[in-house]
Formats: sequence, C-alpha cells, structure tokens
Amino acid sequence: MLKVENLECGYGKLTVLRGVSIEVGAESVGLFGPNGAGKTTLINAIMGLVSPRSGSISLEGREIGGGKTHEIARAGIALVPQERELFPGMSVADNLELGAAYIPHAKANAARQLEVVLELFPILKERYRQLAGTMSGGQQRMVAIGRALMANPKLLILDEPSLGLQPSIVAEVFERLTLLKKSVSILVTEQNVRESLRSIDRGYVLENGAIAVEDDAKGLLTNPHVVSAYLGI
Amino acid sequence: MNRNLSRALAALALAVAVALPAFAGAYPLQVARNIIMYMALAVTWDMLLRSGQISFGIAGLFGLGAYASVLGVLRAGMPGWLSIPFAAVFSGLVALLIGFLILRLRAMYFSIVTLALAEIFRIVIHNLHDFTGGPEGVVLQGVIFGGDAGKLYWLALAGLAVALGASWWFENSRVHYALTAIRNNETSAKSSGVNIFRWLLVAFVVTSSIQGLLGGIYVQSYGFATPESVFDANFTLLPLAMALLGGVHSTVGPVLGAVLLGLAAEWLKLKIPYGHLVVYGVIIIIVILFMPQGLLGQARAMRRSADKRRKA
Repeated sequence: MLKVENLECGYGKLTVLRGVSIEVGAESVGLFGPNGAGKTTLINAIMGLVSPRSGSISLEGREIGGGKTHEIARAGIALVPQERELFPGMSVADNLELGAAYIPHAKANAARQLEVVLELFPILKERYRQLAGTMSGGQQRMVAIGRALMANPKLLILDEPSLGLQPSIVAEVFERLTLLKKSVSILVTEQNVRESLRSIDRGYVLENGAIAVEDDAKGLLTNPHVVSAYLGI
Repeated sequence: MNRNLSRALAALALAVAVALPAFAGAYPLQVARNIIMYMALAVTWDMLLRSGQISFGIAGLFGLGAYASVLGVLRAGMPGWLSIPFAAVFSGLVALLIGFLILRLRAMYFSIVTLALAEIFRIVIHNLHDFTGGPEGVVLQGVIFGGDAGKLYWLALAGLAVALGASWWFENSRVHYALTAIRNNETSAKSSGVNIFRWLLVAFVVTSSIQGLLGGIYVQSYGFATPESVFDANFTLLPLAMALLGGVHSTVGPVLGAVLLGLAAEWLKLKIPYGHLVVYGVIIIIVILFMPQGLLGQARAMRRSADKRRKA
C-alpha cells in the first residue's frame, strides 16, 4: 500500500527527517514519538504539504513523493489533520459531502459511504444540519474523520487524533478506529501510546527524525525503551 | 423568511425591474441603470470574496472591458452589440493570463496586486495615445440603441442577469464547496482533493469577464471612454461598500446593499453634492465596526437568537 523509503525532509536549513522508511499494508500502523520528532512532517510529506529532499514515497507502487496534495488525495490517501481543521462555517452535512465531492472515485458512491459514516458516528446524524464550528471538540474530531472517510480512501492518516480531547472521548475515537481498520488501512500518529497500542497492529517510534524502534503492537508493549519512555512504567 | 415568501418577493422584484421603463421617466431609469451596474459589480466582487480573496481590481477589469468594447468598435469595426461580449472575453483572457501569476498570492498581497494592476491598466491606456486616445479618451459615433432610455436600462438589466446567473451557479454547484473550503481552510481543502489554484482561477476569470462585460455595457451606453471615467476608483469602492452593507458571501447581500446605498446616494447627491462620499465612508466604518456580516448577516443572527429563545 504505502511505502516510504529513505525519506529526508526539512524546512529551510533545518533537517527534520533523516532517512525514514516505513510501510503500511492492509493494517493499522502507529507512529509514535515525542514532540518535534518529525511525525507531522512525515505525514505532511506523504500528503504533499512538504516537499521531500530525497527518498521516495509510493502508494500501491506509484510514486507520489513531491506530488500535489489534491492529486495525492484523489489517489486514495485521506488526512485527518492535527488541529481538526474542519470547515467551521459549513454544516456537518456540507463537511461530509465535501469529503467526496472532489474525489472522482468517491463521488459515485457518496450516498453509500455517507450511510457508513453516519452508522460509525451516530452523533453526526443527530447534528447533521448543525454548523461544524459550533460542535464540541470530540464531535468536531468525528466530523473530521467522517469527512476523510467520505473520500473512500485506501489509506486513512490521522495526525494525533486524541489531541485536546477528554479521556472518555479519546477511548471512543480509538474504539471507532479499531472498527475502521477492517475496511481501510490506517496510519496514526499519537503521543497517547497506551491508548493507541490497543487499536494498532504495528508501530514505529520516531526519534530525532529517524526510526528508533519498529515492532508489532505486542512487541512495542514489552519493548524496554517504549515502556520507559512512552508508557511511563 | 420562508422560501415561498422569498420566491414571491424575488418574482415581484423581477417583474417591477423588467417593467420599469413602462412607467418610469428618463431620470429614474438613469438612476436605476447606475444602481444596477454597481449592483452587478458588487455581486461579482462578492463571488471572488467567497474564496477568501479580496480584490481591489474591479475598476481595472471594468475599465479594460470598457476600452476593449469601444476600441473594438472604433478600430476593428465591430457592431456595438458584439463589442460587449468581446469586452467580456477580452477581460476574461487578461484575467486568465494574470491569474496564473497572482493567484499564488494570498490575503493583503493579492489585494495590493489587484489594486496595482488596475492602476497599471489605466496608465497603459493613458500612454498608448495613438491607439486608445490617451488621456482625452475616445468617443463613439453614437450610443447603442440610439440612446433609448428604456433599451439602455434593459441592457444594464441583462448585464445584471449575467452576474446574478453566475452567482447562482457559484452558489449551487461544486464551485460553492470549493470556494467555501478554500476560504475556511486551504490545507483541509487540498487534503479533500480540491485543486485550489484551478478553482481560484475559475472564480477570478468568471468574475473578471463579467466586470469586463459591464464595462462594455457602460461605455456603449454613454458613448465615450476616458481613463479617468472608466477606471474611476468608485467602480471599486462603491460595489465593495454595497456588498459589505448588504452582507457578504451571498447573492442577496450585495443586491440589498446596492439598492439601499444606491438610493441613499442619489438622495444625498441632491442634498449634499459630493458629501455623499463622506456618508459612504461613514457607512463602511459603521458596518465594519458593528455589523461585520452586513445587514443580511445581522438579520440571520437575530433570527438564530430568536429561534434559540423560542426553543429555551
């Protein structure tokens, strides 16, 4: 599905990613690391929001590195950004509809996909006509995930989905992600390692712009470095 | 206001607008024509604003269309009626070319460049003396439709119909989602598959074409063009004030603002000649300070709070 090889990326003279390689297949993959490790930069590079200096990024064998963001979205990658980044002046309905409107393969199945999204997040059905910007943080996160799912993506990327949410909502979001991984590949960055390890199959730990640890969820749970640095045990 | 009442009012306004020459004299028709021209410009300004881009270049594209029309007649021997769509195509093509350069700019940088472009167009026309008539301008052999006040009014109304039709298309098609998404959040828009540059270019070219068309209608109605008359800053400032007063990001807002400000200006011109511009300025300041969403936005906010009170 997604293959990132020897990716080097940065801003101006600052190098953020140094030879990062990750793979995401038909599974749910976590990307962990402290603030400033380069998680969001890696995601931005995959989405074409930052240009790679070297290395390659491919989706199903097709090179997408350095491509335009809207073309990468149309190729089948949907992003739920860190700051929710909804269209606050639009209703929930419009936000969801927009998720499919500009993705050719999603437009044809938008009605069916909408049913899937509303089944996954019943609260969105209740608040369907409400302005997205007037909803609570957790509900806005659900709108953002719903909008990304409307694109019927091959790969769903979530950047820190638990950021700024109360613990009960975080658990609900991860519960939904566990359901989702049956139908779509997922790449999720998180600082809440304990919660996300319950929903992922495999994970990478990114430190100082390089992959420090790579293992399946069980392996990460018992990895001494992960345990001491991220699980606080 | 429910939908049926809105439709009934719109139908009534349309009937009155079309039938106006049957019961109004030359002076009211002239006033109505001016209001209609500014109304159409205000609608086009708002159409681009829906993407978050604030243009100060209305007068530039309007003036360019005016000169394309008048020079089309004088230099290329076009019939007056044909020079009007020609003005639209010419302004649209110029917008397409400059759009490739300036639509990568955002916020005040875009606004300043559009303002500068309007000035550049004026200076170029000013200096191409042999072709454009320079500062003295150019005069047509006659006014279109022989100057018939009713027909000139209908011509302006046709220009408004084009602007309203385009605005309706913007509001009821994928253009609406794209422009609103771009205005709300460019990163999210891109990540949702919206080709930002393409949609901004569509909005810029369409609105510029209509501004050019209106310039063509204006110059064919008055029979002459000088750089000072058709690149007048009022063609930028008045539509902007009208849209702000009525309420932005909709078709109805600029229309409402144009009617109110247009009629007020006409009355003020009689009472305090030239002083009406001061009143315009004061209105803009009051609207920005106390009603940033304009009259329409204010009405919607009041309705929302009334609904909330009723539910509570």
